[in-house]
Amino acid sequence: MSLTDVHDVFAAIHEDGLDDLLRRFFGARPKYLNYGSPGFVAGTTVNATQMPAIQFPGVPGGIDWTVRIERPRVDAHPQSAGLPPELDPLGPQRVSIRTVVEICVACTGRRDDEPDPDRPDDPTHGKPHQDDPDRPVGKDLRPVCFKVEVFAIAHAERTSSPTGDALRLVVDAIELVDLEPNELESVVECLLLQILRAVLASVRLPLTALRAGAFELVPTAGPLVQDDQIEMFGNV
Amino acid sequence: MDITAAIDEPAADDLLDTAIGLVTIPPATGSGALGPFVASYNASGALSPGDVDLIAPATIRIDDFRLDWNLSFSFGIDLSTFLPDFCLPRVCVNIPCVGRVCTPRVCVDWPTVSVPVSFSDFVEVTADFGISITESGGVWKVEAVVQGVPNLQFGATTAALLAAISLAVTPILLAIPFAGPFLAVAVNAILVAIGIAGITGFLGPILSPFVSGLRIPIYEQAKNFEAIPAAGATDPAVFVTIDDVRAEITSTDEDELVLAIDIS
Repeated sequence: MSLTDVHDVFAAIHEDGLDDLLRRFFGARPKYLNYGSPGFVAGTTVNATQMPAIQFPGVPGGIDWTVRIERPRVDAHPQSAGLPPELDPLGPQRVSIRTVVEICVACTGRRDDEPDPDRPDDPTHGKPHQDDPDRPVGKDLRPVCFKVEVFAIAHAERTSSPTGDALRLVVDAIELVDLEPNELESVVECLLLQILRAVLASVRLPLTALRAGAFELVPTAGPLVQDDQIEMFGNV
Repeated sequence: MDITAAIDEPAADDLLDTAIGLVTIPPATGSGALGPFVASYNASGALSPGDVDLIAPATIRIDDFRLDWNLSFSFGIDLSTFLPDFCLPRVCVNIPCVGRVCTPRVCVDWPTVSVPVSFSDFVEVTADFGISITESGGVWKVEAVVQGVPNLQFGATTAALLAAISLAVTPILLAIPFAGPFLAVAVNAILVAIGIAGITGFLGPILSPFVSGLRIPIYEQAKNFEAIPAAGATDPAVFVTIDDVRAEITSTDEDELVLAIDIS
């Protein structure tokens, strides 16, 4: 059976190549893995994405938080990486994704960059660490964190990017390991499903990257996930 | 391998059609033997596509691709080699009161003339190409490289070029005093001296290098490959390293040109 089948052009990226590409992507743009409110992230840079604090009545400035995601690892069908029973076995046309997510919240009532109502003239307050966006801004954030291992099932989807046709991974399901009680696990799963889905949706891999610039390809079929790789078919 | 890219034979035909049309052939100048003469020449050429046949494991045959060529050359002819010695005889007359008066015997020295010729034609070539993979200066290249020196069949070109030489020589000879009566003899002698062998022996060394060094690009990428371009201050370009490139022709139910690429 030919690679191109009934088409003119075939391009495939093996799961190892996809891992390499994602490693390079997140290495160059770690802001897609690191998110936080101003208490943790002074501003959006290449390293981190600043987002608003969680607003809550009675909490001045809101609740600071940060989410750090380890670089996701992918395994394309057929399955070669272990999965939790809930996701096992990996179905056809699917990839599994494994990562670790760390979530922190600031366990303080006031951020360092906000004036102390009792000491409004204190000059040590209100100076965020602009020179190091990864360094927590507040001195007294007292972050409370937990890490959880996350497994997800996703499919590949064709999309567009500024440079033309692209692929992205769309998360279909997620499973956490060793988190109890079950209700808490469900809440965190729901939260992380949305986060991981959003993170991966923003990673658009141009088709030209998936074939290392070889041969022109106007897509006619795919992406197909099979033989441990993601395949595209097209015409010249 | 991390990345596999393949094209079938019709797509390879399209790819190589485009690539061969973009190949620029540097013009050639020099001198060569045109039968008994030495001709200095300027030659240029351009390629047109042919039909691609992929042959496993590593041969790309291109049938009937066309080399259009243009040749300007000039060569010197010592006419005394081709024309008989010609002298006006001494003539004497008796003139009354003057006596006998004679003209001198005048012999014509046939000059050496330069004959410029311009000629354009094409030749169709079928050649086998191998696949060359190189990494030099931080750039990976996969090229189809012609194997050996293709045999150029000039066919009717030789007769046409002889006719062009005849057309170029005729007005030059007509301009030479006393050469008119010998025109046909001279032209014929020159063409016989050159002959078919002289034409092919002249064209072959000039035009063969246009084809024998031919390299047709198939794939060219920087080793430090820009996978995703920059999209703003906080979205810098994403580069991957192309560590290895392999290429082969595979034959299953279809012949395909396959590139296998390792990245990191």
